[in-house]
Amino acid sequence: MFLRLLSDVRWWTASSRWRNMASSRSSATSAAEPRLISLPAQAQVVVCGGGIMGTSVAYHLAKLGWKDVVLLEQGRLAAGTTRFCAGIVSTARHVSIELKMADYSNKLYQELEQETGIKTGVQIHDRTSVSHILVQKGHVTGVETDRGQIQCEYFVNCAGQWAYELGLSSEEPVSIPLHACEHFYLLTHPLKKPLESNTPTIVDLDGRIYIRSWQGGILSGGFEKNPKPIFTEGRNQLEIQNLHEDWDHFEPLLSALLRRMPGLETLEIMQLVNCPESFTPDMRCIMGESPTVQGYFVLAGMNSAGISYGGGAGKYLAEWMVNGYPSENVWPLDLKRFGALQSSRTFLRHRVMEVMPLICDLKVPRWDFQTGRQLRTSPLYDRLDAQGARWMEKHGFERPKYFVPPGKDLLALDQSKTFYKPDWFDIVGSEVKCCKEAVCVIDMSSFTKFEISSTGGQALEVLQYLFSNDLDVPVGHIVHTGMLNEKGGYENDCSIVRLNKRSFFMISPTDQQVHCWTWLKKHMPSDSNLLLEDVTWKYTALNLIGPRAVDVLSELSYVPMTPEHFPSLFCKEMSVGYANGIRVMSMTHTGEPGFMLYIPIEYALHVYNEVMSVGQKYGIRNAGYYALRSLRIEKFFAFWGQDLDAFTTPMECGREFRVKLEKGTDFIGRDALMQQKQNGVYKRFTMFILEDHDTDLDLWPWWGEPIYRNGCCVGKTTSSAYSYTLERHVCLGFVQNFDEKTGEGLGVTPDFINRGEYEIDIAGQRFQAKAKLYPFSSLFTQRRRKDEMELSSYQGK
Amino acid sequence: MPAPTHLFPLIRNCEIGRLCNAVCYCHHKHLCCLSPPHFAHNHLRYAPQKKFATLHRPKENFNQFIHARSYVSTPQRFYLTPPQVNSILKANEYSFKVPEFDGKNVSSILGFDSNQLPANAPIEDRRSAATCLQTRGMLLGVFDGHAGCACAQAVSERLFYYIAVSLLPHETLLEIENAVESGRALLPILQWHKHPNDYFSKEASKLYFNSLRTYWQELIDLNTGETTDVKEALINAFKRLDNDISLEAQVGDPNSFLNYLVLRVAFSGATACVAHVDGVDLHIANTGDSRAMLGVQEEDGSWSAVNLSYDHNAQNEREIERVKSDHPKTEEKSLVKQDRLLGLLMPFRAFGDVKFKWSIDLQKRVIESGPDQLNDNEYTKFIPPNYHTPPYLTAEPEVIHHKLRPQDKFLVLATDGLWETMHRQDVVRIVGEYLTGVHHQQPIAVGGYKVTLGQMHGLLTERRARISSVFEDQNAATHLIRHAVGNNEFGTVDHERLSKMLSLPEELARMYRDDITIIVVQFNSYVVGACQNEEL
Repeated sequence: MFLRLLSDVRWWTASSRWRNMASSRSSATSAAEPRLISLPAQAQVVVCGGGIMGTSVAYHLAKLGWKDVVLLEQGRLAAGTTRFCAGIVSTARHVSIELKMADYSNKLYQELEQETGIKTGVQIHDRTSVSHILVQKGHVTGVETDRGQIQCEYFVNCAGQWAYELGLSSEEPVSIPLHACEHFYLLTHPLKKPLESNTPTIVDLDGRIYIRSWQGGILSGGFEKNPKPIFTEGRNQLEIQNLHEDWDHFEPLLSALLRRMPGLETLEIMQLVNCPESFTPDMRCIMGESPTVQGYFVLAGMNSAGISYGGGAGKYLAEWMVNGYPSENVWPLDLKRFGALQSSRTFLRHRVMEVMPLICDLKVPRWDFQTGRQLRTSPLYDRLDAQGARWMEKHGFERPKYFVPPGKDLLALDQSKTFYKPDWFDIVGSEVKCCKEAVCVIDMSSFTKFEISSTGGQALEVLQYLFSNDLDVPVGHIVHTGMLNEKGGYENDCSIVRLNKRSFFMISPTDQQVHCWTWLKKHMPSDSNLLLEDVTWKYTALNLIGPRAVDVLSELSYVPMTPEHFPSLFCKEMSVGYANGIRVMSMTHTGEPGFMLYIPIEYALHVYNEVMSVGQKYGIRNAGYYALRSLRIEKFFAFWGQDLDAFTTPMECGREFRVKLEKGTDFIGRDALMQQKQNGVYKRFTMFILEDHDTDLDLWPWWGEPIYRNGCCVGKTTSSAYSYTLERHVCLGFVQNFDEKTGEGLGVTPDFINRGEYEIDIAGQRFQAKAKLYPFSSLFTQRRRKDEMELSSYQGK
Repeated sequence: MPAPTHLFPLIRNCEIGRLCNAVCYCHHKHLCCLSPPHFAHNHLRYAPQKKFATLHRPKENFNQFIHARSYVSTPQRFYLTPPQVNSILKANEYSFKVPEFDGKNVSSILGFDSNQLPANAPIEDRRSAATCLQTRGMLLGVFDGHAGCACAQAVSERLFYYIAVSLLPHETLLEIENAVESGRALLPILQWHKHPNDYFSKEASKLYFNSLRTYWQELIDLNTGETTDVKEALINAFKRLDNDISLEAQVGDPNSFLNYLVLRVAFSGATACVAHVDGVDLHIANTGDSRAMLGVQEEDGSWSAVNLSYDHNAQNEREIERVKSDHPKTEEKSLVKQDRLLGLLMPFRAFGDVKFKWSIDLQKRVIESGPDQLNDNEYTKFIPPNYHTPPYLTAEPEVIHHKLRPQDKFLVLATDGLWETMHRQDVVRIVGEYLTGVHHQQPIAVGGYKVTLGQMHGLLTERRARISSVFEDQNAATHLIRHAVGNNEFGTVDHERLSKMLSLPEELARMYRDDITIIVVQFNSYVVGACQNEEL
């Protein structure tokens, strides 16, 4: 069991200390003093929610020097989930950023035991509820409370399970997708021989319960298989009053407890506490700035781990507000990973019923949620589904994983959970083979697509500043480029087509829809007449991969498609079948030969049918994203969101020549990159080929496996796949170089990479791996020219 | 009761099944001394033991049965699996949901569930449900036949037409009569809601129609010009139908099949319990010992049962008084014996049963001129003892009117097969909990009591077992039957017991239970509440 549990902290103790700390001006310190101190007319920051999240944010803001902070709580301080929660701090977490937060919280709480009486200057007002957030010109200007208005620059929504409702009570609604479920835990009278307070906390994942000592007795709760979502229609007095003990609902958990500890049978019940917890659609918490309202920050949706995350999450959010960005990559938790599409109450209600039980389930790789599906689909969905497509969902969009051939059965959902070789192995293998030898078609409609245009030359001017690669290319050319932040890190990785002198077509990863839009809006000059349009829904994208894609397309268009007539990384509007105005691009996101077709949706079915019928004689078949993934990883293509993030620069992943450093044009992140060019990099994107790994019998690498160089851990893998061509597993990851004595990061040179002996640790077993900084050139077909090979090695989606 | 316990464990094959019949019969001899031997001979075919002689208490006997069994090793005993049990229980279930208009159900009835479980072969109970098309309202009824199913069948087909016709305004009656006269299409009067097993006898339809037409012609002639009172209409319809049954048997029919049919209808009997629901007006017309029970949900969520009918049997003092007042004082002692009318009949009111209505002369004349089958039948020939001043029996119903309130959630109509196995309070609680779902099961609160985890666990497991039996049924009537047949001493369904009860051989089943027929009508509290407000 990889789960380690650290000691639990008495939140109540910590909380009272915090309260003292926030001290003299706080009206919450003494209950004997019922008078309310009047609210200030203005403040820099207003935090709503006096639970662990709100207090943690306020504490960290104060530590970073922002003293003008007002914290509002509708009831009493630490009265919501924080008060009633079981108070367990566990650092065993699934997502590494969450693990870091929990680890920090754990240390912080221990420090807080000593650190008392520090004046933070934060004003705390309880029994004050926020009714409305005032917004002007897309920026927070103040909050309306039941005790008057406060003007402010920043607002932080830490309203826990009420965060969704509060998000909607703003002049510009902010969608915060979370939903509450009832959560029960049991308190008992002390045992005959009272339990020591330092008795370890026990989590029985099979029984779905946790048990800890509580005042000589026990406190035990759990995460049942049939959660009870609550407050779907918002705050409902009837439901609040009905938050009673529900013993019938608790029965499976009580059975599990008595099965694990039969000796507790004679223990006397004190109370069954019902304390709703909030859950998010992907079981990860929500933090960050609203994409629609500047200065509106959110920290909520803790999936019942609020106490564990409290310290760390508050710290990152405070940094974000003060510095403009947090000190770690928090993209997996960023509010902008969601769109408006996840804000439906029905969706949330259904999804959290699936999420909550997952807390106790084994998290297997490539798990797809089963609820809230088929929301966004391509027009070809039914057609592909009928041909055996199995689907995964990204940002609400259904994408084919692979196609199950007729007559072949896969394992049932429950049996298919594995860390070993999965049941789709051979199916994906044959799709990959078809991509290599004939031609495959993959529906890739989910990609985010923007059009940026202007009446004059402004579009180019602005984009040159926003993107790192040179976009001043001849019309019809495709440029792979990053959208970097000040520190040179990738905020987005995209392909941009110059449609004409004044307009550009931009293709980004699916989950960039909100983030990329916000970034562009934020950095575009507000007075420009630039037109930015999200055209994602207007186009269906088909990827024709394989050596025979050329033949299929030329037969359908009566236009020669050979590299002489249609060079790679080139885009032309042409007709395919009867349909006109199809954007055909000579790239496949895999390094294989072929074309992407961007088809206006009304032509999608026609073009697909034509491609399939003409392609028949070339051996065409459907393929899915798993094949695509295998193809791109064996060619060392990095993928934003998995391999690349806001803390990775082009220098660190071998994409220096995708940056216009020499051109003399300024762009965001240029200074950081120049500096890095001078000083060298501290991590380097590397490809590993597993040497002695048995695909059939050994556990597979998925991602997150430690990388060892000469016996020292130098990093973790970020993605991996089986290469059907190499017949080996390929892992991608970053290698760092730590000083043996100080642990400080040192420069990583190609030489450093090449001179090491590498091992990848999969669940405790180390496998020898060969490190490479460049892909195997033998993997690229002879027909592609040299420039294509060069470019394809950095390309990735 | 001196039940021959030691014999029961032996009941494992047909042979002994027959032996048991004999045992059973002996029983009756003890209790019902006046049964003549020939009577006993027909015991099982006509199943007279129910109405014509007391039956030993089924529950007691069954417990002895089980008790004895546990000491005897019976390895070959065959048990029904849960799916088999379900297929037996669900064979006759029927559900009707009142259709919605514009997404709204404007009727005070949401719908009804009904079901029957036979004990007799063939079953002698009948049920009917229909919507009145020319007037407002819905009719629902259960009919418990005795001495055969002929009378119950006829009443289940015909009674609602008589009621509907009684309720029709003068103009509509004229319209219908004119249509029949000129051979035009008839206005539909009733829309039936029938299970496929609920049949109508095609052969008699013409005969029945003619009798019905005569009735409405008389109503047209009688035209009082007054608006029809539901209570009066119900009483008239009951009495008129019973009268027609009697007349048809006296007149006979040239068709020999029909002739025999009308005689069988008249010589067998049936009780009837009928509900007429129109908005908040609920009328119950009852003849005999079936029962209508209203399920009322109190403010605290608990359930209470309100009787909407009185049993017409010896347990009802008022009935005994009524019978006595109808006959000379000299007969006082012989009128009710062993809790039976003339020592023979359990219900004190019923359709058919001309043996308790006709004069001895009439009975003899009809039988003599009747078909041979009738003459060969010892039962029909048998004249009740102390038979001096007929009629002793009437089909006139007792009608109770109830104004529905929002807390009146449902109505249970059921034959005595249900009521003799379950207390009315339990019936209402089980249906109430079923209809409102598990969530409304009275929640457990620890309060200030000292409860250990182990005790709580035991309690919860037991409650869950109860809930899981709810989920098996989609029909409230089925759910009630499951409890009536399968309940153990803790009030929860015991599968083993259920399995045993349902696998009893035909001829034995009747000793442990009676035919059970149930209709559960669910009311629409919103509409009821709205109607109530309008009236205020």
